[in-house]
Amino acid sequence: MLKCKLKLPQKTHLPFPPKLSSLVSGSEGKEAENAGGEDQGFESGKELETFLPNGLGLEAEFEISQKVINLEKLRRLSSSGIPVGGGLRATIWKLLLGYLPPSRDLWEKELSDSRQKYSKLKEDFLLSPSEFSRRKDEVLVTNEKHADLDAEASFERHDVSNEDHPLCLGKTSAWQRYFEFTEIIEQIDRDLDRTHPTIKFFSAESPVSKKNKESMRNILLLFAKLNPEIRYVQGMNEILAPIYYVFSTDCDEKNSANAEADSFSCFVRLMSDSVDHFCQQLDNSPVGIRSTLCRLSELLKANDEELWRHLELKNKVNPQFYAFRWITLLLTQEFSFQTTLRIWDSLLSNSFGIQDMLLRICCAMLLCVKCRLMKGDFIDNIKLLQHFPEIHVNRVLRIAQDITPVTSSFNQSL
Amino acid sequence: MVLVLAIGDLHIPARAPDLPAKFKSMLVPGKIQHIICTGNLCIKEVHDYLKNLCPNLHITRGEYDEDSRYPETKTLTIGQFKLGLCHGHQVVPWGDLDSLAMLQRQLDVDILVTGHTHQFKAYKHEGGVVINPGSATGAYSSITYDVNPSFVLMDIDGLRVVVYVYELIDGEVKVDKIDFKKTSTAASNSVH
Repeated sequence: MLKCKLKLPQKTHLPFPPKLSSLVSGSEGKEAENAGGEDQGFESGKELETFLPNGLGLEAEFEISQKVINLEKLRRLSSSGIPVGGGLRATIWKLLLGYLPPSRDLWEKELSDSRQKYSKLKEDFLLSPSEFSRRKDEVLVTNEKHADLDAEASFERHDVSNEDHPLCLGKTSAWQRYFEFTEIIEQIDRDLDRTHPTIKFFSAESPVSKKNKESMRNILLLFAKLNPEIRYVQGMNEILAPIYYVFSTDCDEKNSANAEADSFSCFVRLMSDSVDHFCQQLDNSPVGIRSTLCRLSELLKANDEELWRHLELKNKVNPQFYAFRWITLLLTQEFSFQTTLRIWDSLLSNSFGIQDMLLRICCAMLLCVKCRLMKGDFIDNIKLLQHFPEIHVNRVLRIAQDITPVTSSFNQSL
Repeated sequence: MVLVLAIGDLHIPARAPDLPAKFKSMLVPGKIQHIICTGNLCIKEVHDYLKNLCPNLHITRGEYDEDSRYPETKTLTIGQFKLGLCHGHQVVPWGDLDSLAMLQRQLDVDILVTGHTHQFKAYKHEGGVVINPGSATGAYSSITYDVNPSFVLMDIDGLRVVVYVYELIDGEVKVDKIDFKKTSTAASNSVH
C-alpha cells in the first residue's frame, strides 16, 4: 500500500454546476469568446460553431437550388444562422422577405420586373426639375436654330409666366415640390454620414462608398416621396443599411449591380412591418411603440418575474428608456455589424413574424444580463441597458427561442 | 443644377424704398445657391437681406454703394461656366456692346453680368453671353426714367444654362425663359 497520498491530478477548477438562472445570466459582461469559456459550462465552444454553419450552408444551398423552395424548411435552417460569404444570405433574405417567389423559374421575371419598376419610379420622382424641363423641351423643340451662329443677337425669350419656373409658389409646381424636399434630403444626408462610421463600405472617402451613400439616399428619398404620411424618420437609414450591405456584397454580379433596386423593394417590405413604430401619431395606439414596449414588459414578467419586479417596480427602469431603440431600429445599434446580420437571420426567418422574434430577443437580452441588473440601481441598470455589452449571440438567440410567450391576448392596460 | 440669382441696382433708400412686394414673396431662402449682385444696393441693410437669402453672395461696387470695400470686378466658376461680374459704370460708353466685350475678354469669362443701365438685356456677343439683370426695384437711372423692376435667375445644369427673367410689368410678374448651351469646355469655348 502506498503510504503517500494519492495526488489526484489537479484538474482545472470547474465551477459548481451552474444553477439554471446563472446559465442564463452568464459571464460578467466579458466577451464570452475571449474569456475562453472557462465558466461556460457546456456552452458550445468555438469548434462546434465552425462545423454547424458549413453543414447548414450546404443544406441551405441545396434547399434554394430546388425548383420549388420549401420556405418553412428554409426558415428553420436560417434561424440557426446563414453562413457568410457567397450570395447565400442575400438570396435567402430576398426569399424570406417575399421578394423572390418560392418557385425558382419565376425569379428572372420577378427580378427584372421589379428592377424596371424601380427605374421608372426614380425617373418619375427623383428627377431634378432642371432635368425634367430639359427633357420636356427636347421633345417639343426638334431642330431649333442650332445652325444659327449669328454672334450678335438677342436671345429668344419664351414666356413662362403661367408655366413652371424656379420661384413658382404654386402647389402644382415641380420646382416647389422639389424644394419641399430639400430639408428632408439634408436630414437624410446627415444621417447617412453618421451610419456605421467605422465601416469602410459606408463611410470611407472612396468613390465606392460615396456611390453607396447616393444609392441609399435615393432609396430613402423615394420612400419619403411615396409615403407622405410618414416621409423620412431618423433611423430608417439604420434599417436600410444591413439590407443594402448584404445585397451589394452578393457575389453574383448581376445581383450586386442591382442592389439598389432590390434593397428598395425589400426595405419597403421590411418597413411595412415596422412602420407603425415610426409614426408619432400612433405612439399611444394599440399598434404603436408604447403598446409594443408594454408587451415586452409582459413578456419579461411571464418569463422571469423576479427580474421584472426588480427592473420595473423597484428600480423603475421602464422599457421606453432602453428598448425604444432596440425595437424601432431592429437591434441594429446594439451589437457589432456582423452580429446584427446574424440576429437578422433569426428575425427574418421567424414563422410568427419579425416583431414576435424581436420581442423574444429583447427579453432574452435582459435575461442574459440578469445578474448584473439585479446588483445595480436605476443608474447602473440604465447605463448597462443603453450600452449593451457584447455577449455570445447564439446564446441569446437560443434563449429567445425558449421564451414562453404571453398567453393572454388582452392587455389590461390598453 | 445650381440656381444663381443675378440682381442689382436697387438704389435703396435714395431712389426706391424697397423691393416690390411680389418679388419679395418669391425670393425665399433655401432655393438659391449663389447671388451675384451688380452693385448699387446701396446700404448695409440690403446687403444683409441678400446675405440672408443666400450665404454665397458676390458683389461688385456700384458708384453709389456705401461700402467701398466691394471689388470693382469679380469672377467665379459655377459648374462648367465662368462668370464675370462688374457694375458697369466703369465701362464707357455705358451699355456699349463692344466695350463690354472687351471687359469680357479681359476677365476671360463665358457669361458677363453687368448692370448700371437699369435695363434688362441678354445677348450673345463674340462667343460670350452678356446679361444685365436690370434694376430689381425699378429705380430710375441717368439713362432711363421708365424702368420696370427686374432680376434674373440662372439655372446652371452641366453645359446648359436656363435663364429665367422676372419682370414686374403693370403690377404683374412676367417670367421669360432663355436657353443656351456651351458647346464644350476645352477647345471651342464658344457659347451659342
